[in-house]
Amino acid sequence: MKMYIPPLNFGMVINSSNESKEIIYRSGFPQPLNYSYIKETLNLKTIIYFGKKKDITKEYQLFTEENGYNLIVFEMESVRDDNINKIMQDMFSLVFNKENYPILMHSNKGKHRIGVVTGLIRKIILGWSITGIYQEYSIYTGNVKGEMDLEFINNFDFSDIKIDLDLERLPSFINYV
Amino acid sequence: MNILTTRNKIIPPINFCPVEQKLYRSGQPSPLNFPFLSTLKLKCIVWLSNEDPEDSFLEFCEINNIIIQFAAINPDFGEDDNPWDGLNEKSIFSALETLLDKQNYPLLVCCGMGRHRTGTVIGCLRRLMNWNLASCSEEYRRFTGSRGGRILVELLIEGFNKDAVEIDETSIPDFILNTLNY
Repeated sequence: MKMYIPPLNFGMVINSSNESKEIIYRSGFPQPLNYSYIKETLNLKTIIYFGKKKDITKEYQLFTEENGYNLIVFEMESVRDDNINKIMQDMFSLVFNKENYPILMHSNKGKHRIGVVTGLIRKIILGWSITGIYQEYSIYTGNVKGEMDLEFINNFDFSDIKIDLDLERLPSFINYV
Repeated sequence: MNILTTRNKIIPPINFCPVEQKLYRSGQPSPLNFPFLSTLKLKCIVWLSNEDPEDSFLEFCEINNIIIQFAAINPDFGEDDNPWDGLNEKSIFSALETLLDKQNYPLLVCCGMGRHRTGTVIGCLRRLMNWNLASCSEEYRRFTGSRGGRILVELLIEGFNKDAVEIDETSIPDFILNTLNY
């Protein structure tokens, strides 16, 4: 019988009610036993990996190529990275373009790096309160505190980064005022 | 000056998380969460506690034309109807019936804290979607907080017989259909 094994810490960040394609998933690093789940049920277009380029295995590279996923790697260790604002700027540019959806974002365990990215999306795009963001962060980290991460989310200021907005391509869940 | 300035902020209910397209889970929403909830344009809420929800919550549902399905409230009020008990076969089944009809979406599944009862129903839904048991348990435990998962809930998820659920392919949501067709 068919059995699906979704990647570690798999979950949803955005599930837009208006537009069925506008979905962002989050997870840990997909292993070969997760491939059938990703391939057969998610219909992805873009995969964004926050981690080291050298951690991309050959089989994973092959898997993304075979299925036509656009694999984008952001070289990232933690929020202490010097170029963290640039990484987040590039991340937002991808999220602001509806052509990229559905998107899967993953790190290695799907906890801290993805927790930060999710937190920023919640804060900047959806306007969530910091309390709600902290709570979701700790659901996925198993109550492991990440003071640095939370501090980063709290202090992140959207005006620090520059994004060329293409209003035509803005996903429908973003209310641009 | 207002003492509380949370009005312009989105405050999600406790343990809130999107599960699938147009499907959400959470604990019992409080009035602070209502502005956020109304943006979800919910059609139906599956209430899994065997106590009635707060009046303000019922009122919110009435104003917004949201149907509340009381999946766990036992009309005959048996003696075993304790708030700390888990769900039984009947309540899981009746909740799943709602989840399997795409007319009820956008839909929110919730109980008091959004941990065990909600976790049971979502776990059984995942089994139905052909997820393997370890992944179902992992997702359940993620939402249970520092005290961890309950063995009884995981037994319910493991013992769930998905073949006993009748599936009408014309009315189930697409995300379930996608997992069945391979």
